[in-house]
Amino acid sequence: MTESNAAAGSLTRPCVKCRAQEATLDSRSQPVCRDCFTKFIATKCIKQVGILGKETRPPPPATKTGGPPTDTRRYLLGLSLGVSSTALLHLLNGNVEFQLSRGRSAPFDLIVIHIDASGDDSSPDTEAILARYRARYPRFTFHCVPLSSAVANLDLSSLPILSKEDEEPKDPHWWKTLPTAASRTDVARLLTRQALLAQAVTHNCQALLLGHSTTALAELTLAEAAKGRGFALPWVVQDGFAPSLPSSLLLPVPHGGGDGEEGVTGDGEEGGGDDGEVIKEVLVYHPLRDALRKELVIYAGLVDPPLTELISNTRENKDDRAVVSHKDLSIEEVMLRYFAEVEESYPSVVANVARTTGKLVRAGEGPGGERCGLCGMPLDEDGDQRWRGELGIQERSAAGTGGRLCYGCERSTGG
Amino acid sequence: MAPALCANCKTERALIKRPKNHAKLCKACFIAVFEDEVHHTITSSQLFYPGEKVAIGASGGKDSTVLASVLKTLNERHGYGLDLVLLSIDEGIKGYRDDSLETVKRNAAQYDMPLKVVGYEELYGWTMDQVVETIGKKGNCTYCGVFRRQALDRGAKMLEIKHVVTGHNADDVAETVLMNLLRGDLARLSRSTSIVTGDSRSEVKRSKPLKYSYEKEIVLYAHHKKLDYFSTECIYSPEAFRGSARGLIKQLERVRPTAILDIVRSGEDMARLVPGESPSSCACKGQKRAAMAPAEDDVGGCGSQNGRTPGNEMAAMDKQLRENEANEGLEIDVGKAMSESKMSGSEKQRDLPIRSGNGASKAVPRQVRGNCKRCGYMSSQDICQACMLLEGLNKNRAQIQI
Ligand SMILES: [Zn+2]
Ligand SMILES: [Zn+2]
Ligand SMILES: [Zn+2]
Ligand SMILES: [Zn+2]
Repeated sequence: MTESNAAAGSLTRPCVKCRAQEATLDSRSQPVCRDCFTKFIATKCIKQVGILGKETRPPPPATKTGGPPTDTRRYLLGLSLGVSSTALLHLLNGNVEFQLSRGRSAPFDLIVIHIDASGDDSSPDTEAILARYRARYPRFTFHCVPLSSAVANLDLSSLPILSKEDEEPKDPHWWKTLPTAASRTDVARLLTRQALLAQAVTHNCQALLLGHSTTALAELTLAEAAKGRGFALPWVVQDGFAPSLPSSLLLPVPHGGGDGEEGVTGDGEEGGGDDGEVIKEVLVYHPLRDALRKELVIYAGLVDPPLTELISNTRENKDDRAVVSHKDLSIEEVMLRYFAEVEESYPSVVANVARTTGKLVRAGEGPGGERCGLCGMPLDEDGDQRWRGELGIQERSAAGTGGRLCYGCERSTGG
Repeated sequence: MAPALCANCKTERALIKRPKNHAKLCKACFIAVFEDEVHHTITSSQLFYPGEKVAIGASGGKDSTVLASVLKTLNERHGYGLDLVLLSIDEGIKGYRDDSLETVKRNAAQYDMPLKVVGYEELYGWTMDQVVETIGKKGNCTYCGVFRRQALDRGAKMLEIKHVVTGHNADDVAETVLMNLLRGDLARLSRSTSIVTGDSRSEVKRSKPLKYSYEKEIVLYAHHKKLDYFSTECIYSPEAFRGSARGLIKQLERVRPTAILDIVRSGEDMARLVPGESPSSCACKGQKRAAMAPAEDDVGGCGSQNGRTPGNEMAAMDKQLRENEANEGLEIDVGKAMSESKMSGSEKQRDLPIRSGNGASKAVPRQVRGNCKRCGYMSSQDICQACMLLEGLNKNRAQIQI
C-alpha cells in the first residue's frame, strides 16, 4: 500500500488502476498504464467466456470409439480477419494458455472459420493471411470456407432474383448481382452468419463466437432497425440460442477430410444417424460486447507482437475510401461512419445502445413459428399483417418453395 | 430519349420521381397515390368514427397545411362524416406567429373550416414574452417546449373536442425511433411509434394520419396542389439526440429511399418487444383499432416541439452513464445493486438528465403513470411539468408584485 503510494508519488501521471506505473493511455476517460489496459480488455472478454462456459456443459461423446476427449467444450469462432475477431482469437488463445499453465485442461476446443465472400475459391491472398494465423495460433484449427459453397444448399427459390431465370443454373454468387450496395452488403452479411451457424452445427460446436465490439453491436442495432428488421433485433444482438437452421443448410462434414482436422465426425449418435436431419441449437455469443472498437484497435497494437501484423491491411483501408456516391454505400458503412464519431465523443452512449436492445423480448420463436427463408429469423406475423399492401411498397406474391421472407429480406432482395 | 410514361396510368408523362420508392408518376397519379395512402392509414387504423369532431393542429407549416387539405379531400371523397376544425396555438411571442397565423387564417377560408386560435395567455396565464421577461432568455426553451406539448390538448379541451390530429410525418417518427434507441429510452420508443396516443384516462386523443408519409412527398404534394403554407425555419436548434438522428436518417434515405419507412416499421415492431409495454397491440392482427399509447411524450415534429435542456444533452447523458458504470463497478451493497438491476431490467427507465432540465422536477417522486393532481393532464409525476413551471413563474410574479 505504502509502496504503491510512494511509487505513485514519483510518477507524473500514475495509472488510476495500479497506481504503480505511468499512465500511457486513456481508458473511458481515465489514465491507465499499458498492463492495466490489456488486463481490462482481457477481463471483459473472459467474463463473457465464463458465462458461456456455464451455459455449455460438455458435449456428448462424438463417437463411441476413439473420439476426442469429451470433457471439453467446443466453440466455433467466426474470423473476419478484422481487428475485433482477431483480438477475440488472441484473447481466447491467452485464456487457454493461462489454464494450461496452471496445470488445468483447456477450457474449450476452438475451431476458427473464415467465410470467404470474395471469390470462387478461397483466394491465394486469403490463404496466405490464414497461414500467418495458423503459425501464430497453432493450437487451433483454421478453415476457410467460400460463402458460395457454404450456402449452396440453401433453398432460395422464393427469391425473385433467382426464380426469374429458372432454366439457367443459379449464379453461385447471386447476391453480387443485387442492384444496390446496400442490398449486396446486407445479403452477404446474412448469408455469412447463416454459413457460420451451419458450420458450428456440422463441426459439432455448442456455440458460435463472434467478435462484435460494443460499437459493432450498436451499429448492428441501428443498421438492422434501418433495414426494417426491428422484430429480429433481440435475436441478432443478444447472446443466446440462434433460431434453428433449415436442414438444407447443414452440409455433411467431410469424413476424415484432408484438411488436417481429426475427430470431427458427422454422425452425432443421438440423432440415430438419419442423414443430416439432426438440427442442433447453437448459442451465439459476443464475448467482446463490453469493449469499444477503438479499445480493441488500441489493444491490437499493444500485444506483443502486435496483432496488426496479422490483420491484412487491404481489408482495413476500405473505411478511408472517399465516398463516390451514395449508391455505392451500404447501410453498414453509414452506421460505421456515424458510430465512429459518436464513439469518439460519447462512448457510453454507444454502450447504452447495445444494452438497450438487450432488454427487448425475443418473440416469434413459438412452435410452428415460421422462419425467414433468407436470414432464418422468426417471421413477424402480426407486423406483416398490419403492413400488408401498405404504402406504396410493391407486394410480392410468395412463389417458390423457399418459404416466406421477412420484411427486411424482402426489401434487400426486391431490388 | 422518349419521355417516360407514368408507371401508374401509363398515359401521362411521368413528372415526379416518388421519394418513397422512386416510382415515376404523373402529377395527377402522384396526388392520388399520396391521398390513397393516407386514406389507407386512416381506415386500417380506424382513426375516426362518423360524426367525430376533430381538431387539426395547425401551425401554418407544410405538414399541418397538407394534413388539413388531405383530410378535407378524403372527408368529402370517402364520406368520413368528420367535423373538422383548425386549432392554432399562439405562444405570445411578438412577431413570431404573425405570418404563420395569417397563413392559417387564409387556410381556414380556403378549406372552409372554422379556426380557433388559443393563446398561451388563455391556457397558462402567461405569454412566452412575459415568461422571458420574468426568467430571462436562458432556459425559456424549456418553458415553451413543455407548454407547447400540452397546448393542443388543453386547447381542444376548451373547445370540447376529444381528438386532435397533428402533422407528424414518417421522417419525424423514424427520427424519434433512432433517437430513443440512441438514448436507450424504450418506454418512449414504444409510445412514439403508435399512431394514436392518449389512453383511456386522457380526455383528448391524438393521432398522426401522416405517420407513413415522407416529408419530401408532403413538400411535393403541397407544391403540386399549390397549397398556401408558411415555410418557417424552426427558430430553435433541435435537441442533440434528435439532431443527430435526423442527420443519420438523411444519409440513410440517400443510400436506400425506403429506409425511413423501414425504420418506422422496425419501431412499431420493437414497441411490441418492450417488456411491459402494451403487448396487446400484437393481438390486433391489423384488424382492430391501433393500440393507444399515452401522449405524454409525443413525437416532436419540429425540434421546437419538445422541451429541451440547454447545453449538450448527449454529453450530459454520456457523463451520467459513465457515472452509473463507475458506481456499478464500485458497488458493494449487493441489495442496492440488485434492486437497481431489477429496475433497469423492465420497470422503468432511469431518470436521465435529458428528461428533466431543471432540478425542480427531480425532487418530485415519479409514479408509474397518472394524471397531474393540479390540472388533470396525463403525467408520470404527481404534478405535471407545466404546472411545476407555472408554480415557479407565479411565485416569481407574486414577488415582483410585492
Ligand atoms: Zn496500471
Ligand atoms: Zn429475413
Ligand atoms: Zn399517371
Ligand atoms: Zn398539471
